[in-house]
Amino acid sequence: MDILGLFKHADTMLDAAKRLESAGYAFTVFSPVPLVHEIDHAFGERKSYIKYFTFFGGLSGFFTGTLLALGTAALYVLPRGGRPIFFITPTLIISYETTILFGVGITLLSFFLFAGLPSFKKDVPSPEAAIDSFGLLVDDIREDEFVKLEKILKESGADEVKRVEEE
Amino acid sequence: MANQKSSVGIRGMEIKTLPKHDQSHISYREINEDILRFMTQTGPGYYIVLGALFLLTILLYALPWAYQIYTGQGVTGLNVPVFWGVYLVNFVFWVGVAHAGTLISAMLYITETPWRRAIARGAETMTLFALVIVTFFVFIHMGRPWNFYWSFPYPNTRQLWTSFQSPLMFDVFAIGTYFTSSVIFLYFGMIPDLASLRQSSTGWRKSLYRVMSLGWRGTDRQWHMHGKACMFFSSFIMPLVVSVHSIVSWDFALSVVPGYSKTVFAPYFVTGALLSGFAGVLLMLTVIRWFFPIMKKYVTAYHFDRIGIIILVLSLTWSYCTLMEVVTGLYANTSQELEHLKFKLLTPPYSYLFVLMIFSNTLVPLSLMIRKIRSCEIGMFFICIFVLIGMWLERYLIVPNSLSRKFLPWMWHDYFPSWVEVSITVGAVCFFIFMFMAFIKIFPVVSLFEVKEDAGIPMKKGH
Amino acid sequence: MAGIFDKVKDTLNSYRTPGYFKKLDHKWTMVVDLDMCNGCGACVAGCYAENNLPVVGKEDCGKSRAFSWLRIERYVDGEYPDVKVKFIPVMCQHCMKAPCEIGCPVYATYHNQDGLNVQVYNRCVGTFTCATYCTYDVRRFNWFSYKWPKPLDQQLNPDVTVREMGVMEKCTFCIQRITAAKDKAKDEGRGVKDGEVLPACCQSCPTNALVFGDLQDPESRVAKMVNNPRKYRLLEELNTDPSVIYLKRVMNDGKSEE
Repeated sequence: MDILGLFKHADTMLDAAKRLESAGYAFTVFSPVPLVHEIDHAFGERKSYIKYFTFFGGLSGFFTGTLLALGTAALYVLPRGGRPIFFITPTLIISYETTILFGVGITLLSFFLFAGLPSFKKDVPSPEAAIDSFGLLVDDIREDEFVKLEKILKESGADEVKRVEEE
Repeated sequence: MANQKSSVGIRGMEIKTLPKHDQSHISYREINEDILRFMTQTGPGYYIVLGALFLLTILLYALPWAYQIYTGQGVTGLNVPVFWGVYLVNFVFWVGVAHAGTLISAMLYITETPWRRAIARGAETMTLFALVIVTFFVFIHMGRPWNFYWSFPYPNTRQLWTSFQSPLMFDVFAIGTYFTSSVIFLYFGMIPDLASLRQSSTGWRKSLYRVMSLGWRGTDRQWHMHGKACMFFSSFIMPLVVSVHSIVSWDFALSVVPGYSKTVFAPYFVTGALLSGFAGVLLMLTVIRWFFPIMKKYVTAYHFDRIGIIILVLSLTWSYCTLMEVVTGLYANTSQELEHLKFKLLTPPYSYLFVLMIFSNTLVPLSLMIRKIRSCEIGMFFICIFVLIGMWLERYLIVPNSLSRKFLPWMWHDYFPSWVEVSITVGAVCFFIFMFMAFIKIFPVVSLFEVKEDAGIPMKKGH
Repeated sequence: MAGIFDKVKDTLNSYRTPGYFKKLDHKWTMVVDLDMCNGCGACVAGCYAENNLPVVGKEDCGKSRAFSWLRIERYVDGEYPDVKVKFIPVMCQHCMKAPCEIGCPVYATYHNQDGLNVQVYNRCVGTFTCATYCTYDVRRFNWFSYKWPKPLDQQLNPDVTVREMGVMEKCTFCIQRITAAKDKAKDEGRGVKDGEVLPACCQSCPTNALVFGDLQDPESRVAKMVNNPRKYRLLEELNTDPSVIYLKRVMNDGKSEE
């Protein structure tokens, strides 16, 4: 069983989250808008590993582009316009584009990886949390904890507290 | 409500300050409902226009193209020195129109400019469909379009890959990357919106959004990753925007033809692309505001004011580049350059076209210095039309015109587009509007979560 | 180990040198003596017959879509009684630094071992880039599928393909004759002799204004002719390094003009 507190205001939600944290509960924040700065401010900076993926995506793109262009030149030795077979300048243009292509692609994949998408198992606990309310969800609580948690949430200004049953 | 103007009185005089960008009066639920209403409440007029556009696309675009494929490129007005005609003009023009979309969404994202949020999605959509048109124009202009896939590197039975030293191959990569990136960027930004709209929509829309939102729940972790990834996309797309149009310009600048072989081309084309792109975005916003008054809440006079200033600045930059293009040609003082300039600047009807181009790209946007004009919808509408026509003419004066006066005078020949080319050019516009209109009714054309950010995060205690 | 490394380095260096091939098998060259050219157009007719060029008719010629791989440019100087007419036959110059070759994205045009600028019809997708980049406007495009009227299809040259619609083409220096001569020479175990290869235009020229041969062979006629002080190449200032060499016409007043 889960408990969900719905808040109309972000700051009250963050207050409640702080109280939950000090009470020792793990919680999930649901919001219709990104609250990254606010949560960073309240709970400290979090780490993101996407940047490493992006960097290596771009790097692999650069080498793929270079290999593609120079490899083709080496495999098909067709002299053209008196230019060198291994022609560096146009190769750089190709690898410039593949850097971006691979960088963007790998970033998207790593975003899917870290954001846990696609996953159709779990839904948003309440439709309001996707539209105009900030949700605070505490997973897997026992029946006797419910009252205590409800009290914390209500006291910090939750507009609604919902019981979410496991499917 | 749309353009809130605050009045400050000084010594009895009333001074109107700039329209402010303040969306805090809009509530979150209102945004969701507005966008959903915008998508679902469709009058018969919309379907009539959509159907008419579809019919026009078939008649003016698909059928002439089929006729051209069946009969051969001979149905165009192309001839021996002028091998690149209106199709290439359209190609460059539409790449240009595509440019503003990514620039608005990427550059203004990095700089965290607030007013981008309401218009970024629409601009990105324009980018995507403009690129679809671009891709089709590449195929249309080919002699053997049924072999278009030969220009991609893949293991094949012909035992041959493509030549990576060719400027056209740069194009394949640049536009391929641009297309992929814009699709990713557009879809990526739309994931949270689809998840949000899914809650309040019904029927096929609900199932479509369910699948397309990939199970987005809006947890803090997801938002965190979303923000990070969006920043990386933006930083990748910024240099891409510049590289794509400079590469398009190298199609011309890497040759030795007088009028093509100019070092100023890369910045010239990028500036021109952005100019036409911003004009296209503004035109799109104006038309949307006319036909869907609900949008006036989101696209405000402030947007017009800001984009107006951008167009003014870009138009001045473009004018400088145009001047430089002519001046460097004159300074080179070779007979070929002079002959080319004489043809472009002094021979009717091209001299008239040149004057029209200068009029619509330099003189008309100068009126944007006046704030009243920047806030006047009809005025902006006509300025955008002028800029778009002027930018099309600029490409026309570069692409076929330079080829008409190449090196050997015996082969000089003028070019005039045939009915097939004109029809496909007009049909492409219909096709573009058709795709855009169909899109805005299926997917949210305003970014929900970003407009919500714009409206401010509700705080009980205030900031 | 060091030997292999040096070998790889040498290979890479040889790849870096422009054109890659240090020495061509042949360097086919045409010398056009403008003093001898009377502008009769026999070369053009010979080219049409040899290379299966379609005759497009009056209307398409007016649109500048005539198929002549080889054309005779006429420049008229002055007003009627005092008129000077100059002729210059212009065909593909087979540039060693051809602008057209870098434009092609599908390797349809490249430089071969004989120093020829070749066009592979089957690879062509028709992007027009080569023709746009060409500084001599010698490339021709198949605007339609051309048909030959009934008896004329019997006179098509079997050694030359009939090109499909949508394909770029141009003067090949009659590559089919070059190949035939090389094959014959190979069978007989010798090199190609001077004068053995005779493109259709040279064959049909009544005044022998067009001379074809291998510039690398010091005994060939072209190699001797290029030392002529009248020598010039068309649009040489563009650094395309053409293989066609013109000899200036000397006018009555003793001046030589291009």
